Amino acid sequence: MSMIEVSNLVKQYKGAKAPSVDGVSFSVEKGEFFAFLGPNGAGKTTTISILTATLSKTSGKVKIAGFDIDSAARQVREKIGIIFQNPSLDPQLSAEENIRFHACLYGMCGYRPSFRLMPAAYRNKVMELAEIVGIEDAMFKPVKKLSGGMQRKLEIIRSLIHTPDVLFLDEPTQGLDAVSRRSLWEYIDETRGHFGTTVFLTTHYIDEAENVDKVCIINHGKIAAFSTPEEMKHSLLRQELILDAEDRAALTNELSALGLPFTVNGRIIVPYRESAQSLIARLQTRLTVLRIHEPTLEDAYVEFLNKTGREAA
Amino acid sequence: MSELVLRRKKSRVFREANTVVAVMAREITVFFKSPGTAIMSLAMPLMMMGMIGGNLMQNMAGGIGFEFGEFMLVGMLVIMLFMVTTMGMTSLVDDHEIDFNQEMLVSPVSRYSLVIGKILGAGFAAIISMAGTLIVGLVMGITLPVGKLLLVLALSPLMCLSGGALAMIIIGLIKSKRAANLAVMLITMPQMFLSGAIIPINNSGGALLVLNRLMPMTYCIDLARAVLYVGSPEYGSVVMFNPAVNFAAIAALTVVFLVAGTYFFARSEKNR
Repeated sequence: MSMIEVSNLVKQYKGAKAPSVDGVSFSVEKGEFFAFLGPNGAGKTTTISILTATLSKTSGKVKIAGFDIDSAARQVREKIGIIFQNPSLDPQLSAEENIRFHACLYGMCGYRPSFRLMPAAYRNKVMELAEIVGIEDAMFKPVKKLSGGMQRKLEIIRSLIHTPDVLFLDEPTQGLDAVSRRSLWEYIDETRGHFGTTVFLTTHYIDEAENVDKVCIINHGKIAAFSTPEEMKHSLLRQELILDAEDRAALTNELSALGLPFTVNGRIIVPYRESAQSLIARLQTRLTVLRIHEPTLEDAYVEFLNKTGREAA
Repeated sequence: MSELVLRRKKSRVFREANTVVAVMAREITVFFKSPGTAIMSLAMPLMMMGMIGGNLMQNMAGGIGFEFGEFMLVGMLVIMLFMVTTMGMTSLVDDHEIDFNQEMLVSPVSRYSLVIGKILGAGFAAIISMAGTLIVGLVMGITLPVGKLLLVLALSPLMCLSGGALAMIIIGLIKSKRAANLAVMLITMPQMFLSGAIIPINNSGGALLVLNRLMPMTYCIDLARAVLYVGSPEYGSVVMFNPAVNFAAIAALTVVFLVAGTYFFARSEKNR
């Protein structure tokens, strides 16, 4: 079942000369982890804003969890959670008051004027999530006194408290330290495993998208690539063997004799498409360095943008 | 699945009412956490009732056929409700600036619930100012019967809703704090002088008559005076309309402004 269906989506802002999103179509299946990547200004946040019913579209069709975004916006909102690109917390309220407000708007519980008066299920869930992201000591402090990273963690708790079917993450780890990033992804993986949550991610940290099911690259408001990370890597980049030997001349002669292309850049770099083992087995020269370089999604992404032109619309 | 998710409330009515309460409670919480706002709410009556009202009493009180102080105090009470509620509605602009409007608008609740909660929350500060006005009035030697005053207090949320709904039409479209502050003046000043709050309008005509009939404050003040003057000999010279007419006009204008204001607000946030 498709949880997100986007067909020929167009958005042109008032007064803009060109559309920010220009005829975008894609779908995301239930439980999928989907990365929507692109350079600054490519149309990622515009797309996410339309999918979360916070921005009107110019034309096109969008369905979330089977509900049309125009005729059933309320049902769509019921199914989604979002971490916005910019913080959207009330700085005057405490961290817990921000979550309580959100929980009430999503019908999780009736409003009570203090945390202690809230139902036990709410209190337990809030403290459980706070512990996971490591802000349990800050829950009753005013948001304006929390660091940017802590505010981000608070937004993460808020987006997950109603256990959405589709979770939109618009650069969720911006401003987070490495430990917090890791604990966030562990928790999101756990949530996906437990609830089958579909995750729609935009990020500039491409390594965060390494384990996604599908990658979509948007550039100049148009879909530039759509595939699995593996397909993307293999279509754009080759795997490489990094070799060296005491008798480097013998090694380069042997590679030439075997008809294997190579470059010398500090080490000897041999791109290959067959298995690394069979290639190594054919070499007689005694090696002093042997490393296999697997291209990352980030390598593929950078290569892709270099090929297609990275300037934003 | 977590216990909290299983307990998710299904009733639409409950959820909307809960939203109104949560949004209102947020405004009240923020009010108590912002000493400046609280101080301003109490300073307003000193300025409005103490200075403007005191000056009017000393210079305009003669030959109008009724006790001017009492007449003006009722007007000032309603002005406070309208003015402070309208000022409170400018927090929509603050919420826009900190992206909190996005958090509210992405939630699966009616936009009307959000706006009504916001108005009633802003009305809380207005009721504090109203109480302050009564105290300043008391110091100036103007008293109102307690029983009738409680009736006016019971009507005050409706008056706040009416004032806030009117404010929504303009403030809901504004995205800058400076423009919002100007809008407060634009909304409240004409009402203050045209609705009969402090200057009798029984003899108004022409364009001014049309304008005062379009302003919800006119009917709110008249309704409050009807409640407070009922059974007194001045009733005929102070009250313009039947209370039922006032009530119907307030309800109709509130609904019209609320629907239009909420529509403009939601549209301006979504249509960029």
